Amino acid sequence: MNTTSIPFPARSLPARGTAGKCPICRWESGLRLQLLRSPDHCGQLQKVTQMMEWTSKRSVIRMNGDKFRRFVKAPPRNYSVVIMFTALQPQRQCGVCKQADEEFQVLANSWRYSSAFTNKVFFATVDFDEGSDVFQMLSMNSAPTFLHFPAKGKPRKTDTYELQVRGFAAEQLARWVADRTDVQIRIIRPPNYAGPLLLGFLLAVIGGLAYLRRHNLEFLFNKNVWAFSALCFVLIMTSGQMWNHIRGPPYAHKNPSTGQVSYIHGSSQAQFVAETHIVLLFNAAVTMGMVLLCEAATSDLDIGKRKIMCVAGIGLVMLFFSWLLSVFRAKYHGYPYSFLMS
Amino acid sequence: CCGLGMWRMSSLLSFSILFLACLAGFSSRLFAVIRFESIIHEFDPWFNYRSTHHLTTNGFYEFLNWFDERAWYPLGRIVGGTVYPGLMVTAGLIHYMLNLLHITVHIRDVCVFLAPVFSGLTAISTFLLTRELWNQGAGLLAACFIAIVPGYISRSVAGSFDNEGIAIFALQFTYYLWVKSVKTGSVFWAIGCCLSYFYMVSAWGGYVFIINLIPLHVFVLMLMQRYSRRVYIAYSTFYIVGLVLSMQIPFVGFQPIRTSEHMAAAGVFALLQAYAFLQYLKDRLTRQEFQTLFLLGVSLAAGVVFLTVIYLTYTGLYAKIHIPIIASVSEHQPTTWVSFFFDLHILVCTFPAGLWFCIKNVNDERVFVALYAISAVYFAGVMVRLMLTLTPVVCMLSAVAFSSVFEHYMGDDTKREKPPQEKAEEGLGPNVKSIVTMLMLMLLMMFAVHCTWVTSNAYSSPSVVLASYNHDGTRNILDDFREAYYWLRQNTDEHARVMSWWDYGYQIAGMANRTTLVDNNTWNNSHIALVGKAMSSNESAAYEIMRSLDVDYVLIIFGGVIGYSGDDINKFLWMVRIAEGEHPKDIRESDYFTPQGEFRVDKAGSPTLLNCLMYKMSYYRFGEMQLDFRTPPGFDRTRNAEIGNKDIKFKHLEEAFTSEHWLVRIYKVKSLDNREPLDHKLRSVVPRQKYTSKKVTGLLYVCT
Repeated sequence: MNTTSIPFPARSLPARGTAGKCPICRWESGLRLQLLRSPDHCGQLQKVTQMMEWTSKRSVIRMNGDKFRRFVKAPPRNYSVVIMFTALQPQRQCGVCKQADEEFQVLANSWRYSSAFTNKVFFATVDFDEGSDVFQMLSMNSAPTFLHFPAKGKPRKTDTYELQVRGFAAEQLARWVADRTDVQIRIIRPPNYAGPLLLGFLLAVIGGLAYLRRHNLEFLFNKNVWAFSALCFVLIMTSGQMWNHIRGPPYAHKNPSTGQVSYIHGSSQAQFVAETHIVLLFNAAVTMGMVLLCEAATSDLDIGKRKIMCVAGIGLVMLFFSWLLSVFRAKYHGYPYSFLMS
Repeated sequence: CCGLGMWRMSSLLSFSILFLACLAGFSSRLFAVIRFESIIHEFDPWFNYRSTHHLTTNGFYEFLNWFDERAWYPLGRIVGGTVYPGLMVTAGLIHYMLNLLHITVHIRDVCVFLAPVFSGLTAISTFLLTRELWNQGAGLLAACFIAIVPGYISRSVAGSFDNEGIAIFALQFTYYLWVKSVKTGSVFWAIGCCLSYFYMVSAWGGYVFIINLIPLHVFVLMLMQRYSRRVYIAYSTFYIVGLVLSMQIPFVGFQPIRTSEHMAAAGVFALLQAYAFLQYLKDRLTRQEFQTLFLLGVSLAAGVVFLTVIYLTYTGLYAKIHIPIIASVSEHQPTTWVSFFFDLHILVCTFPAGLWFCIKNVNDERVFVALYAISAVYFAGVMVRLMLTLTPVVCMLSAVAFSSVFEHYMGDDTKREKPPQEKAEEGLGPNVKSIVTMLMLMLLMMFAVHCTWVTSNAYSSPSVVLASYNHDGTRNILDDFREAYYWLRQNTDEHARVMSWWDYGYQIAGMANRTTLVDNNTWNNSHIALVGKAMSSNESAAYEIMRSLDVDYVLIIFGGVIGYSGDDINKFLWMVRIAEGEHPKDIRESDYFTPQGEFRVDKAGSPTLLNCLMYKMSYYRFGEMQLDFRTPPGFDRTRNAEIGNKDIKFKHLEEAFTSEHWLVRIYKVKSLDNREPLDHKLRSVVPRQKYTSKKVTGLLYVCT
């Protein structure tokens, strides 16, 4: 227990003998210190020690009603507590709580493992099913809720986090905490190893296959496979999937009053996921039409099939391009041109 | 003789088609000049124009050493070392040549018409590149496409005097020379490629795209076992000479051997040397199995290194997007499918077909164009402004697709004569062919119409001069910006310092010739945050900041009278966000929202917003103004709301100028009062015994 990494008042003082020590905090009960310390220093330090011990086990302390009253509500306290009130039990069916909990864990871990970690701030959580009396005591009826209990004084209005306005991203929470407690927390998200691992695995599988079939590597030189995958990539990009990936729009919009589902976003500045899938299909159809047209003119099939290919090709190009144009027209207001369909 | 005649005929035809494409490209970029006047557009071009003007008046060396003390007050900016000088030097050189020939044009006209002229050169270099990749017909189609495609016009209309205008030409020409040098394996073409690359480096930061794409091409060629001496000669020459040349640009300096963006090129260079060495050994050794295994190992290791470098580079790029100052720039947004369609129209659906044909009939240079397409389409998806690098390759591949169709469906008469009765019966028949041809031509015609419409409506506004149209089609010119800038130029002290949001920094410097605090070269985030803080604080707090920054005038853009949506109140949240990033104690974004989380300027708006400096400056005396009889006084047309704070009084500022349509408002920052006015009774002085120092008198006595 002789680590010095945690700046802790009880440890920073040298212990001189055991005779006059307070049994809890091991502070010397000499005259000099008796002048300094407040009557309830033992209660405070005991609580801090307990909180530190919990925090060292898991960065978010789970609390029930008793713990909450003792460590948060009871007055002698020289630390701030940020508490998430939540309902994580599966029967509560709170999907938002899970996401908020993940973000809260990220925040608490960033604090717990940062070099600036002190015992000024603790993170805790109260689950509705473990401490419903706390919810009643604070007359709270929604979860998740983030509250800050300052070291001194009662919680004010700004000590309730505006979840609706700011969202529950760990970065936003950190800014709120910094605002309330003067503790700057740099959010460090645990790196996601799944992507690189999967890529490595895939590469290994491909390499292994190539090694096993090293005398028959024609499949690597199959132009159709390469051309097809290149086309897929290009179509994914031109249909705005990257925008979806960055902005995360809904799949489609359902009008709550009429129940009508619209797949096309009305503005040219945004898009739904469904809409980009439609556009991807249209683009692919036009491309296929162009390829068919060329195939019809060059292939060795008999003339009937080639004619069908040709007609299908030009049909695909014309139909899907004009359809695409009409979708574009619906989004870009004031665009004057259309073809085949308006 | 007939063949020669045909050749002459076709080259004449090619020449005239190319000429017409250049002409069409040039003239479709002139909408803004015809509608308004020969004027520099937007924001960045004003800086480029100002630098070019400096170059032509003071000479090249003075320009390279230029320290601009009129920007970023009080820091100043080293301009010579922080710009890509290619654009200015090009314009300056043309101006010099014309003057040498006694064609005395103003440098402004050279700047205005530079981009349209270079679009013609782009069309020619695209023709050359596509001819190398496919054939002459595809080349001509590609030239026609790139001449009028909106994705390129958006950056190269007359008056848009920006780096991209000349950089796309340099890009395409470098690629043409690269393909040529890979095909021939001659040092001559490789050196040409290096020179063109040098021009590109001097013109635009996008040269990084070239220095990654060419190594990628070489790497993929090696993987495909298409390594040859031609590739070795071309790349070795290109890398060494290109590296040395690119380091001659002051702004680039030692970056090519230091930063991660350039490491892929170095890695591929080392790999190529190793590969060539192994090839050399292979001719002399016999242990074939060992050789190939070793080869596989080397290429795998190199591939891993290459991929990690690429990965690191682009995750770095992605992270940069999330810094607020970068995120606030509208060009740095990801691209919706509508933007793709708007800028490329039919080409966006047909270019995958061209890619298909290229990969199916692959050779060395088609590998290149496929890689070009795939990487460019990725970058265009991530960032709207990189649509510009995608546009040329889309034009080339669409031209390949269309020309393959036309080849088979159009000129059937001439072909049938040569191979007598081989496949004539098996043809698709003239009817089907002519229908297909007609429909394809119709698509192309629609493309041309679309391009013209988009150019005319979306990309030809100078944004310095605005136009509004009445119901009967007559036009009103709103010239408020220039009115205000000329007011500053004529009525303020020469060294007056003007504070505004960074968007207008270049314009103030260029048109008003006054010192600015921040401008569009957003190199110092904390300085911008300080200006944002002043704008979003209340008046007395803002006054302190403005005093500490020596601000004499504050300029804001207010669109509430005419309903102009790009004004400062609409940009205001970005100011708050950027200020909050640097001063989280003083500025909080949530303070500017209503409890419901809305941003409102009416009575329900948050009191912090209604009393901040930006709000007060925007709406000062606006509450007295009734725009029409249907709306109450103080009705903001941009946000469709009656303003919440109509009784605005200033203590430390005074209104200095408001333009005709209230678009630009300028306030003067008052200097400190002589003394604090005393609000209590004057102090009554109690008479005291007078005290004189004996020492001093004694000293005086000695002196005299």
